[in-house]
Amino acid sequence: MSSHPLFTLYGVLLLGAASIADYSGWSLSRINEVKNVPKSVRDNPGVYRSVYGMSPHYSGGK
Amino acid sequence: MTSGPAGKVAKSVSLSCPSCGAPIDLRGYFHTVNVACAHCGAILDARTPTLTILQKFEKQTSIQPAIPLGSRGKLNGIDFEVIGYQLRQIVSDGVAYQWSEYLLFNPFQGYRYLTEYRGHWNFGRTLNALPAMQMGLRRTASVGAQVYRHFQTANAQTVYVLGEFPWQVRVGDEVSAADYVAAPFLLSSETTADEVVWSTAVYTDGRALWQAFQLPGSPPPVSGVYENQPSPYKGKVGSVWKTYFLLLIALIVAAIVLPTMINRNQKVFDRDYVFNGHPNGDSSFVTQPFELDGRTSSVEIKTITNLDNDWAYFHYALINQDTGHAFDFGREVSKFSDEGSKEDRVIVPSVASGKYYLRIEPEMDTNSPTLRFGRSLRYEVIVTRDPPVYWFFLVAFFLLLIPPIYVTIQAMKFEGARWAESDYGSGGSA
Repeated sequence: MSSHPLFTLYGVLLLGAASIADYSGWSLSRINEVKNVPKSVRDNPGVYRSVYGMSPHYSGGK
Repeated sequence: MTSGPAGKVAKSVSLSCPSCGAPIDLRGYFHTVNVACAHCGAILDARTPTLTILQKFEKQTSIQPAIPLGSRGKLNGIDFEVIGYQLRQIVSDGVAYQWSEYLLFNPFQGYRYLTEYRGHWNFGRTLNALPAMQMGLRRTASVGAQVYRHFQTANAQTVYVLGEFPWQVRVGDEVSAADYVAAPFLLSSETTADEVVWSTAVYTDGRALWQAFQLPGSPPPVSGVYENQPSPYKGKVGSVWKTYFLLLIALIVAAIVLPTMINRNQKVFDRDYVFNGHPNGDSSFVTQPFELDGRTSSVEIKTITNLDNDWAYFHYALINQDTGHAFDFGREVSKFSDEGSKEDRVIVPSVASGKYYLRIEPEMDTNSPTLRFGRSLRYEVIVTRDPPVYWFFLVAFFLLLIPPIYVTIQAMKFEGARWAESDYGSGGSA
């Protein structure tokens, strides 16, 4: 491995990045964070408006 | 120039050209057979005291060799003097390809050659033994253990001469020249009706020659890939793939071992639900709270449905019961005959510990086949804390391939450029 020190370093960095990503739980999913959701949502779920509530949802099928 | 065994310094012999009267220095002594006058280009017989004119022609141009005649330098520990110069050419598809040949001389070591084509230099000598030839689809020639592959055979013509030579030389001389390569070595044959002369050469750095002959400036710039030019990628392709496989093994081991060490993969919630459709109402509801403990890490929310040729959409919000901090996202699940899946999996990153609940709002087309005739959508929601995520390792696997593939392609391009100029290349004749 010493004949390609830069490649070895590159591989070790990739390995480290993959391990950190796994440890931290990185994700590419579209997730929105919302602050201060009222506690009343537990009793009345309908008062909560989803970020995706107004967008068209069906995109697949035949 | 050169100190011999007795410490004497060899000197040249000065004569005059019978054609133009210009002075001529004979540096090759009794070895010299022909000498070409640097002034008028006449080729003279050096074995006659009066230098009989053998060939006289009108010089169209005066060519100045990059290494001037009379230059002295030490190559491989031996002092040489440049005593002759030839410009030679082959014509292929109507295009003339010209190269320079320099004749070097040492009174005690004999003759050597330097050739130059587009900045590529070779240092060679004639061979005293015949190579072993192997005929086949592609000819090879062997000298000792070294096997050379046939590169090109062409008719080479002398178009310009300068200085002295230990053989009969004329402008217009033509030989059949064949080259065999085993970079950085070159094996060449020159065949005439009377004889075959074999020589070997080694690819030489022009800068080293400029240093050896103490020439001003720099050598001609290198252009293209030469037939016996050593590949800068030689030996690197195998070793880079070896390094790759070692790193790949490390990556696979990490992908197997690390998740078991660092990911808790703890199922914290699992419930089945039924959705009958709410054409005019609100379908949202919240789940019972569940605990997400431990360090800040990801959460997987998996939705498993009984969809068949249908789709459903789920508005999800993972809400911290105490802080009101929520992760909001929507997921479409669709399963048709040959595409889609009944299941969906999403990773919510960096979720702090705490007590959470899910707000779920399923949505379907009211005319959906799943909801017709009193049927309903059944689905299961599973929440897993700190699941292993393998796609990072998969991405790393592909990124790891970039360097070895790059080196392999570059090596192939270099060899492709080398052999493109041969009889076996796209423009070759074999």
